Amino acid sequence: MTTVIMRTTARVVVPIILIVSISLFLQGHNLPGGGFIGGVLATTAFALVYISYGLDFPRVLGHEIEPAERVFEDPIVVAYRRTFLLGLVIAIGGGLVPILFDLPFLSQTYVILHDVPIYGEIELASALVFDLGVFLVVVGGLLTVLSVVGAE
Amino acid sequence: MVFSSEPAVAFLVVCLPFLAAALVPAVHRAVGERTGYVGAAVALVCFGLLATLVGTEATVSVPWIPALDVAFELHVDGWALLFALLASGIGALVFTYSVGYMHGERGLVRYYAALLAFMGSILGVALSADLIALFLFWELTSVCSFLLIGHHTEDAASRYAARMAMIVTVGGGLFVLVGFLALFVASGSALGTETFSLVAMLEEPDAMRAALREAGLFVPALLLLAVGAASKSAQVPLHFWLPNAMEAPTPVSAFLHSATMVKVGVYLVGRLRPLLGSSEWMLLFATLGLATMTITAVLAVAASDVKELLAYSTASHLGLMIAGFGFTVPYGAEAGVFHLLNHALFKAPLFLVAGIVAHEAGTRRIDELGGLRHDLPVTALITVVAALGMAGFPPFNGFYSKELLFEAAYEVGHAAGGLAWLYPVVAVFASVFTVLYSLRFLALFFGTRPEGLGTVHRPPATLLVPPAVLAAVAAVVGIAPQFAVDGFVGWAVEPTAIEAHEMHAGLPTSLSPPVLMSVAAIGGGALAYPFYAGVRDAVRALASVRALRPNWWYDVALAGLDSGSARLIPAVQNGLLRTYVTWVLGATCALALAGYAAAGVSIPAYDGVGVSLPIVLILVVAVLVAVAVAVAPSHIAGVLTVSILGVMIAVFYVLTSAPDLALTQLVVETLALLVFLLVLEEIPEFYGDIETGPALRDAGLSLVVGATVFLTVLFTTRSPPGGGESIARYFTEHAVPGGGGTNVVNVILVDFRGFDTLGEITVIAIAAVAVLALMTMRDGGETT
Repeated sequence: MTTVIMRTTARVVVPIILIVSISLFLQGHNLPGGGFIGGVLATTAFALVYISYGLDFPRVLGHEIEPAERVFEDPIVVAYRRTFLLGLVIAIGGGLVPILFDLPFLSQTYVILHDVPIYGEIELASALVFDLGVFLVVVGGLLTVLSVVGAE
Repeated sequence: MVFSSEPAVAFLVVCLPFLAAALVPAVHRAVGERTGYVGAAVALVCFGLLATLVGTEATVSVPWIPALDVAFELHVDGWALLFALLASGIGALVFTYSVGYMHGERGLVRYYAALLAFMGSILGVALSADLIALFLFWELTSVCSFLLIGHHTEDAASRYAARMAMIVTVGGGLFVLVGFLALFVASGSALGTETFSLVAMLEEPDAMRAALREAGLFVPALLLLAVGAASKSAQVPLHFWLPNAMEAPTPVSAFLHSATMVKVGVYLVGRLRPLLGSSEWMLLFATLGLATMTITAVLAVAASDVKELLAYSTASHLGLMIAGFGFTVPYGAEAGVFHLLNHALFKAPLFLVAGIVAHEAGTRRIDELGGLRHDLPVTALITVVAALGMAGFPPFNGFYSKELLFEAAYEVGHAAGGLAWLYPVVAVFASVFTVLYSLRFLALFFGTRPEGLGTVHRPPATLLVPPAVLAAVAAVVGIAPQFAVDGFVGWAVEPTAIEAHEMHAGLPTSLSPPVLMSVAAIGGGALAYPFYAGVRDAVRALASVRALRPNWWYDVALAGLDSGSARLIPAVQNGLLRTYVTWVLGATCALALAGYAAAGVSIPAYDGVGVSLPIVLILVVAVLVAVAVAVAPSHIAGVLTVSILGVMIAVFYVLTSAPDLALTQLVVETLALLVFLLVLEEIPEFYGDIETGPALRDAGLSLVVGATVFLTVLFTTRSPPGGGESIARYFTEHAVPGGGGTNVVNVILVDFRGFDTLGEITVIAIAAVAVLALMTMRDGGETT
C-alpha cells in the first residue's frame, strides 16, 4: 500500500489529523472530545504514516535511527511502549496528588482564569492531567499492538 | 475466673500463626532445623493468650466488607476456647516433636510454614463468629492439610492421598457455604436484618428455626451442613480419605487427624446444635454418628498398619462425638464436648507413639511388632494410659465421656421406645470393637517379641516428652474427672447445650443401665480378644468386596471424570478459533437466558416505538448492511460493509444527541478500517465456499446471541435504580458545579467515575503488554 498517492496524502493529512486530535483532547471537558477520542485519532494519524512508510518512516523522513533486528527492539516500538507506561504513570500519579490534600484518590477540581489575552476566560481543570494520561495510554497501547501485529 | 483480659487479643491469636508462617523462610535460614522450637514458641504464646481469656464470653469485630454486612468477627466462649486451646496446646507439642521426627528431611520450610498456617486457620475456625470468615478459615484448613498430607511430593501415594483429602473436604466445604447462605436468608425474616453473624443467630434460635421452616429451608440447610461436617470429620460414607491421609508425616497425623482438623466438623455440629436442634437433627446426626462409630471401629480391627488402625479408630471416635451432639438430651452435648477433649488427649499421644515405633523399630506393620515394653519402657507406659483411655476402661479418661454417650443413648431409647432402642444397642456393639482394637494396639508392647524385629533404639527426648505430657494430662482427667468438669469442661458444654444441666462425671456408684452397657462392651471386647485373628480375617473378607468400599467408588468417579473430560475437550477446544467462539458465545447465552428464566423477569409491555422516522430509517439501513456483511463476496467488500454499519451507528448516535459517542465511533471505525486493510494484505484472496452445516449453525448462533443481547437490554434498562431519569438528571445537574465541564460524558469519565476510566486504560496497557509477550514467546518457540 506504499503507493505515491498514499504517501503524498499522508504527508498532507497527518499534521491536520494531529492538530484536530490535540484540539479534541483540549476541548474535551466542555465540548465533544476528550483523552480517549483524541488518543484514538492520534493513533489513526500514526497508523496512516506507518501503513504508508512502514516502521522505517523516521529514516524516510530523514532521522538517523539504527534499525533493530526484531520488531520488539525497534526504537519506534520501544518509544510506543514508553508512551503508554508514561500515560499510566501520569494518570495514577495525578490521581495520587489529591491524597496529599486529604482528598480521596482521583479527586478533581478546577479553576477559572479571567482576563487572559486573546482567550478572555480559560478554565483549567485538574482532570486534564488525568485525561492526558488516558491520551498517552491509548496512543502508546494501540500503536504497540498495531506495530507488533502489523510487522508479522 | 482468675485471669481476664481484653477479648481483642483473640485477633492477635488468629493473626500470629499466619505472620509466623510468612517469616518461616527467614527463620529457617537463621536457625535451621530448630525452626520447630520457634513454631512451638508461637503456639505456646497463642496458648497463653487464649488461657487468659478463660472465663470470658465476648464478641469482638472489625468491619471487613461493610457493603455486604460481613465483618471479621470473633466470638470467645467455652466451646471456642476448648477447641482453640487444644489446637494451640497440641500444636506446641507437635512442633517440638517435629524437630526430632523430621530431622534431616527436606522441605522443612514448607512443612513448618504450612503447619503454622494450619494452626492459624484452626484457631480462626474456632473463634470466628461470622459465617463468611468461618467458611474461609474452614477451607483454608483443607488447603493447608493438602500441603501437609502431600509433604512427600515425590511419592505418588502421598500425592494421591493429598488430592483425595482436598477433593473430599473442600467439596464438603462448598456444601457448608450453601448451608450458611440458607441461614443468611433465614436471618432476614427471623432477626429483621440479613446477617452473617452466627452470634446474632444463636441469640434467637427459635425464631431462626421458625424462619427456616417457613421458607422450607430447614431440612435442606440441615442436610447441607451435615454433608460438610461429615466430609471434614470423616463420617460414613466419606470416611475413606482419613486412612489414606496417613501418608502424611506422623506429627501431621497427630495434629491434623487426631486433635484438630477432623474435629472441625464436630466443632461446627456442636456450635449449631442449639440453633438447629430438633427431631430431624437427632435422627440425622445420631444415626450418622453411630453408623460411623460402628463401621469404622469394625474396619479398624482389620487394619494391618499401626497408623491405619489409629485412623479408623479416629473416624470411629468422631462418630461417637457426632452421635453425642445428635442426641438432643443434655447428656448428648456433655458426651460430645468431653469426648472431644478426651479423644485429643489419648489419640494424639497414640499417634506420636506410633511415630516413635515406626522411627525406632523401622516398621509400622502390626504383625511384625510386639513385646516392645522391654525396649521402650516409657513409651509403653504412655501407651497404657492412652490406649486404655481409648478403650474406655475405668478409670481412664475415655470411660467417662463414653459413659455419657451411653446415658444419652439409653435415655433417648427409653423415652422414644421402639426402633430408638437400636441407639444404645448399636453404641454397645461399636464399643466392643473399640475395646478389641485398643487391646490390639496395646499388644504391640506386650506379649512375645517377634523374631524378625531388629534392635530398637530409645527415642530422643524431643520425641518422648510431647506424648508424655499429653498422657499425663489424660491421666489427671481420668483420675479426677469432676475436677476437669468443674474447672473447664462444664463451661465449654454451655454454648452447645440446648437446656441448662448440671454436669457430673465420675465412677459409677450404682448399677444403672448405662453402667451395664459399659460392662457389656468391655466384657464383650475382652472375651472376643482371643479370637482376634478370626474376627480380623472375617472383616477383611467383607471389606475386600469392591462395591462396599467408598474408596473404590471415589476412584471410579474420578476415572470417569478423567475420561469424560478427555473426550469432551477435543470437541470444545479443537484448535479452531471458530469452535472456541461458538462454545463461549453459546455458553454465555445459555447462562444468561437461564438466569433470566430463574429470576422470573418478564418482558415489559410494548407501548409503541418511541423513536422518530430518521432513526428508524438509519436502523433499517444498518440491518440491511449487517445482512450484506454476511453475504459479502470478498474480504474487501466485507470490511467496507462493516464500516458502513459502523457509520450508520454513528449517525444513530448523532440523531439521539450523543455527539461524543458518535465521534468516538467514527474515529474507532476509521482505525479499525485501517487495521483491516493492513491485515488484508496478508490474507489470500481465496474466500472459500460456504458449507451448509456450519452456515446454519452460525446463523442459529447469531440469532441466539442477538436475542440474548436484545433481552438483556430490555431487562436491564426497564427499571433503573432511583426510578426513571434520576441518574441522567444527577449527572447533567452536577456536571458544571462538580466537574467544571459542560461535556457531561467527559466529566463522567474523568471526574465522577475516574476510577473506572483508570481501570479501562490499565486494560489497554495490559492488552499491549500481552500482545508483546505473546509475540516474543512465540518467536522464542520458533527459533529454539
